[in-house]
Amino acid sequence: MSKTLNNFSSIREKVSHGKITVDLTTSISKLSLRNPTVLASGILGSSYSLLKRVEDAGAGALTTKTITRDPREGYVNPVFVDLGYGYLNAIGLRNPGAEEFSKELSRATKNIQIPIITSIGGSKFEEFIFVAEKMLEAGCDALELNLSCPHVDGYGLDVGLDAKLTCEIIKQLKSVSSKPIFAKISLHQSQKNLLEKYINAGLDGITAINALKGLAISIEALSPILSNVIGGLSGPCIKPVALAIVYEIHREFPDIPIIGVGGIQSPEDAIEMILVGASAVGIGSAIVRKDLKIFMEIIDGIERFLLDNGFKSVKELIGYINRR
Amino acid sequence: MNIHDNLLGREWVDRQHFDCFSSKYVIGEVYEIRQLTQTIREYNARLKEDMEPVPGQFAMLWIPRVGEIPLSFADYSKQTARLIISRVGRVTSYIHENISKGSKILLRGPLGRGFTIHSKRSCLLIGGGYGLAPLYYLAKILKENNCRLKTLLGFKHSEDVFYVNEFGQVSEVHVSTEDGGKGFKGTVIDMLEKIFKEEESFDVVYACGREEMLMRVVQECVKRNIDVEISLERQIKCGLGICGSCSIEPLGLRVCRDGPVFKGDILLQIKESEIESDGEKICLRH
Ligand SMILES: Cc1cc2nc3c(=O)[nH]c(=O)nc-3n(C[C@H](O)[C@H](O)[C@H](O)COP(=O)(O)OP(=O)(O)OC[C@H]3O[C@@H](n4cnc5c(N)ncnc54)[C@H](O)[C@@H]3O)c2cc1C
Ligand SMILES: Cc1cc2nc3c(=O)[nH]c(=O)nc-3n(C[C@H](O)[C@H](O)[C@H](O)COP(=O)(O)O)c2cc1C
Ligand code: FES
Repeated sequence: MSKTLNNFSSIREKVSHGKITVDLTTSISKLSLRNPTVLASGILGSSYSLLKRVEDAGAGALTTKTITRDPREGYVNPVFVDLGYGYLNAIGLRNPGAEEFSKELSRATKNIQIPIITSIGGSKFEEFIFVAEKMLEAGCDALELNLSCPHVDGYGLDVGLDAKLTCEIIKQLKSVSSKPIFAKISLHQSQKNLLEKYINAGLDGITAINALKGLAISIEALSPILSNVIGGLSGPCIKPVALAIVYEIHREFPDIPIIGVGGIQSPEDAIEMILVGASAVGIGSAIVRKDLKIFMEIIDGIERFLLDNGFKSVKELIGYINRR
Repeated sequence: MNIHDNLLGREWVDRQHFDCFSSKYVIGEVYEIRQLTQTIREYNARLKEDMEPVPGQFAMLWIPRVGEIPLSFADYSKQTARLIISRVGRVTSYIHENISKGSKILLRGPLGRGFTIHSKRSCLLIGGGYGLAPLYYLAKILKENNCRLKTLLGFKHSEDVFYVNEFGQVSEVHVSTEDGGKGFKGTVIDMLEKIFKEEESFDVVYACGREEMLMRVVQECVKRNIDVEISLERQIKCGLGICGSCSIEPLGLRVCRDGPVFKGDILLQIKESEIESDGEKICLRH
């Protein structure tokens, strides 16, 4: 335990340079983050030990892999393509299932100090509720409904488009727990009226965006590369899409906290995302090129930006361009 | 010291430039196939682009519409790659049955971290089964670096024995079979214990093969304060350290990115610290 605390305090929240102090903390609904970096769902979030490693690497919060009621093997290889300008994945929601994962999560919530957001998925009301209850029992700090997985039929995107079902899930979860509920959305669910319904049902925050639908072909093989043919597009090429969606959501719903995800590869990308309205930024594909040191690179870069530009806190930057 | 800091220390990062590897498919054409045992074949392919792997690194071999599997480089020079493929399941059976001379193959890599290459040292290589693959390429490179080599090859039955002559060209070789049909009768660990009893000493030990064997090798080496590196396997999906599928639990080490080659002493260090904080034993099998 003392080892964990040492690691924790070694990553700074407030930094003093001479007389000037900058505050890197932020919050998303009831969650307090030591800095605005969040591990995105599906990235190294399938076991306690990997989550712990990302905490040690500096992250402000963690999102787990999307967990379903039953274990899922996922699709056969190839499941990941490096396109150069981005990545395509069709892992197929590979996860150990709610029962098995709740053991990992219990260990994680005991030994990890930063907030843990559990991503949950399903194709039916009962499935979502079953998984949510298991995860809440295991002590997670918030739930993220995966309404937007682009490559698994009946999960993700299909659920997200069924507004009535989504609202029922949100209402039910709000009635049994006080923990914040977030929705992970993609391009397709960013319409104002849909989000308004979720928010009226009690939604506490939005994670945007998920990977976008994509396909890669090898002309040498005369074949799609992914075994599932269709996958999710992530990485640098989706950043402008993510920025636009976060910008619009923040403009429409300025009181709803947003975790901005999509193509964040550097401190500059993270600052852009915060300027358009994100309270925190999700880090996913960047780990391919930069590995876990990406977290400290972004944290250090934000700190330098604040100091160089006379800002005192990350909070001052959130939605800055919308206020001009 | 935190084990992951140790693992990501300068020595590892500097040796293999991790930020800039590519994961695009390189096309190759198979020009020679050799049947090594009843279930193991060697495939030699000419590639359109250079991959320049370090011994111990691997590639993902994609067979369109069938699957994609991780394979070690068994040899490499100037756009020619050698793969040794053991028939164990769906994709490897397909390869044995359908890939022939002239077939096109698609590889992405090199991936992961390979073995440390020393020069002018005394090295012991220990392997079994298709674990010989990365060791052969390693032996060739160590030999070029003027190392003194001894190789122990362990097999179950005498008909499983392969690559003795190939290793013989770059190293002193000792073979063991459990049925005693060829070489020393017993396991490769029995042979290792015998060699250590004869007071022979080495600067570095490299091993690749079944995990029970590897853990025994590490224990024997750590007792004697000898540096040891081992290559491990898990289910590889992305191959790039992002999906978490290949994690060695409960250590959080990714075979595809932090490995597949790990320092033996790091493994034991991790084990001790894990036992301290959680009272839990490490399970290396999945
Ligand atoms: C870094 C690394 C290097 C390897 N090098 C070689 C090599 O040089 N030569 C060689 O013959 N084999 C090597 N392997 C093992 C090889 O990848 C598997 O035997 C192969 O993937 C099995 O595929 P399959 O479809 O024929 O078997 P399956 O029908 O899928 O299953 C048979 C067995 O193979 C294992 N396996 C299946 N898929 C994978 C996977 N993606 N990753 C790891 N294990 C798997 C399963 O656990 C199972 O026990 C290596 C594995 C790793 C991780
Ligand atoms: C390999 C991989 C697996 C993913 N799995 C999930 C998942 O299980 N649930 C989810 O909500 N999003 C998942 N995503 C989407 C990411 O969380 C993120 O929204 C997306 O990749 C865009 O961010 P990036 O450009 O930083 O990667 C996955 C992405 C990748 C690359
Ligand atoms: S295979 Fe995806 S992290 Fe190693």
